[in-house]
Amino acid sequence: MSYPESKPDPKPQQPVNATDLDEEDDLDDLDDLDEEEIEDDDAFIEPERPKSRTAEERAREEKVKMASLVRRMQSGAVSLRVHDVIIKGNNKTKDYIIEAEVEALKNASTIQDLLRVSSAVNMRLQALEVFDSVAIRLDSGPPELPDTTNVIIEVVETANPLSGEIGAYTKAEARSYTVEGSLKYKNLFGYGDIWDGSLKYGCDHSAEVSAGVSLPRFKGLVTPLTARAYLLSQDWLKFSSYKERSLGLSLGLFSSSHHDLTYNLAWRNLTDPSQLSSKTIRRQLGHNLLSSLKYTFKIDRRNSSLRPTRGYSFVSTTQIGGFSPDSRSLRFLRQEFDLRYAIPLGFYRAALNLGVSAGVILPWGDGFLSRPSSIPERFFLGGNTSPLCTLGGPTTLWGFKTRGLGLTEPRRQINDENADPPERDYLGGDLAVSALADLSFDLPFSWLREKGIHAHVFANAGNVAKLTENEYRNFSMRKFMESIRGSVGVGLVIPTSLFRMELNYCHILKKNDYDRAKSGIWLTFSAPS
Amino acid sequence: MEQSQELTLVARKPYFDLPTACPICLPVYIYLKLSRLPFTLEFNSIYPDSDQIPYVEYGAYVAYNNENDGVIERLKEKSVIDLDSDFQAVPEWISAKAMIDSWLADAIMYELWLGSDASVADKIYYSDLPWPIGKILYLKQVYNVKQRLGITKDNAQWREEQIYKKAKMAYEALSTRLGDQNFLFENRPSSLDACFLGHALFTLQALPETSMLRGKLLQHDNIVRYAEKLKMEFLEAGSSSSVPQPHSSPSSSAQRRGTWNWSSKPKGKPKREKTEEEKKFKKRAKYFLAAQGIAVLLFLSVMGRGSAEVELEDDDEGFSYD
Repeated sequence: MSYPESKPDPKPQQPVNATDLDEEDDLDDLDDLDEEEIEDDDAFIEPERPKSRTAEERAREEKVKMASLVRRMQSGAVSLRVHDVIIKGNNKTKDYIIEAEVEALKNASTIQDLLRVSSAVNMRLQALEVFDSVAIRLDSGPPELPDTTNVIIEVVETANPLSGEIGAYTKAEARSYTVEGSLKYKNLFGYGDIWDGSLKYGCDHSAEVSAGVSLPRFKGLVTPLTARAYLLSQDWLKFSSYKERSLGLSLGLFSSSHHDLTYNLAWRNLTDPSQLSSKTIRRQLGHNLLSSLKYTFKIDRRNSSLRPTRGYSFVSTTQIGGFSPDSRSLRFLRQEFDLRYAIPLGFYRAALNLGVSAGVILPWGDGFLSRPSSIPERFFLGGNTSPLCTLGGPTTLWGFKTRGLGLTEPRRQINDENADPPERDYLGGDLAVSALADLSFDLPFSWLREKGIHAHVFANAGNVAKLTENEYRNFSMRKFMESIRGSVGVGLVIPTSLFRMELNYCHILKKNDYDRAKSGIWLTFSAPS
Repeated sequence: MEQSQELTLVARKPYFDLPTACPICLPVYIYLKLSRLPFTLEFNSIYPDSDQIPYVEYGAYVAYNNENDGVIERLKEKSVIDLDSDFQAVPEWISAKAMIDSWLADAIMYELWLGSDASVADKIYYSDLPWPIGKILYLKQVYNVKQRLGITKDNAQWREEQIYKKAKMAYEALSTRLGDQNFLFENRPSSLDACFLGHALFTLQALPETSMLRGKLLQHDNIVRYAEKLKMEFLEAGSSSSVPQPHSSPSSSAQRRGTWNWSSKPKGKPKREKTEEEKKFKKRAKYFLAAQGIAVLLFLSVMGRGSAEVELEDDDEGFSYD
């Protein structure tokens, strides 16, 4: 690629690098300014100089020019059009992948616009994860077209396409914390495709092996397309006497900052190797085909997800199962809401966080209210994560163990002579509601404040109820409110780069006979969601 | 334990005009019917590859098919329903039972999964499952049956002949044993009748007309009459809830003792009795290790948090024209 011919002006033409962080010593003004402006601004018009100017003189000259440019930019818009976008350095990656990300450059009409859009384009190209570096340069446009610039995008494709990482995550639907190790192979076919294989292990006794591919651009779709095949195994024997194994395919159809649409097709099998399950669980053992569409709408205007002190967030998740021509697939409708609000109080960085979340699941089809809902899709309250960090629906309550709140049923009795009653299976509920209030504040120690360690006082309440199998006839709001469980507590919050740890003292205000909850010291780990 | 608690049998779905079309569930159903005890029948049609089904629930207790020689033996063992109390020591009864449980059971398994087309098995086991799942489970089961019967490509022909020959011998022996009686032994029902009747009804009603096994059974008129007669008398006589009270004579064929004595452990691993000390030690060890791990993570994360933030700032995009 050669530079265009310069005007008969000895002023050196050097491109403006808009993305380097390092100091750029050779930044220069632009050649293609309005003639009027050029005439008005003497700093850009150089009289003819002898070729033997010193480097020092040149540097001084450029500094003056740049100062003038900055002054002009500060005082108002400096108009500029993009004539052409030239892409260099992509030996493997298809042009259209990069061109699709840089469309916005062509619409810039001022230098300020161009610089802003260039920054955004650079971030988008970096986000494709297939380039080691991205540099965007502005060069002068053709001499016959004033006010134009050519944008040159130089990419360096990743030298080592294979990378690995280990991390800790939590997702909205996960019950707790997972540790994940993954291998990625980038840009195998030049479509910006990223192939990855991962192994995950969760604290809720789940293990998953999966492989996936992510395509930034697929046949003109505006958002990236992801596909993931997985084999997931979850062990709920201790809590509900069943094991869940799923072999499935998950497709990310649409994803933006507020909307997310995924389709999931899975063969799920519930087994009970212990043969101790209660009657409700026994009836649900077997194979199911899950074909569901899940839509998530999310607004998160909080200033932080680890320690929100201002703002609000709202998440709504709708999942419809039974998206299949085969009527024998699992049919259900699941809806969750989660609303959070953080109010700053103005002292010691204190903030009051309020939250309310609710969820309901119902099967659909003929006689849907007389049929039971699928156990894995039900709502289970309790777990070792902080309700403040788990955004997406009713999942945990401080002080209650995993699946520790809700309806229970006695397991199979084995020994008549044994006086102990059999243990119980936790069955979850079709309707769940939870609410929380959390007052967080800094401690009066500068060392703790520097590390972000702070204290909090909290209260939360929640309840689950059964609606299916005609239980909705026995449901009343009064009974539901009377049976609400609650807890209060105080604790220390230690945010780290990996997770948010809480050391709390919880006091259970109200629980039912079979709830698994305890007053005492609790340690919770949450990754922000 | 309340004696008025109902029995519930969970079996596979009905088809072919049979209350449950699965040849393993049908004898259990018939056994409960022969005992004239009231019970509820429920179905599980999404777990065709489970060896736990059929199972009988009584209150909080469950008798699974894959524990303690099966549901019928379990019910007998715990004196819930014992139709065989007088036959246990009779050698002919024992050998007839062994013949039905081995030769005829193998013959049914062969005929259902390998001898006929997939439609029979599909209707019984997979009709409530979506096609891909049903198909894969069917192929898996066909493979398992071949393994169990020891059938390979080389000996398939010979094994088939052997299976049919043994079935034929069994039919002849049982036909001779039956004669013109209503039941196989002493003219009263036993678990032997439950098993043989289950086999006969399945062979006559579920297997297609082209089935070789069915053809061999049809050669014995007295067996066909026996099957039809008992079917009408016990299976089509009305619902189980309207069945009269159990017999109370000393030699009653249906005795139910007052107390339950379910003292066996479930199949699989029984819970290992741990001493309190062992449990406490393991819990403490777990907490200790967790505390060590958390301390290391905290140290790395909190203490190293400053430098990580600087790196993050360096990664931010920005312009500098200085």
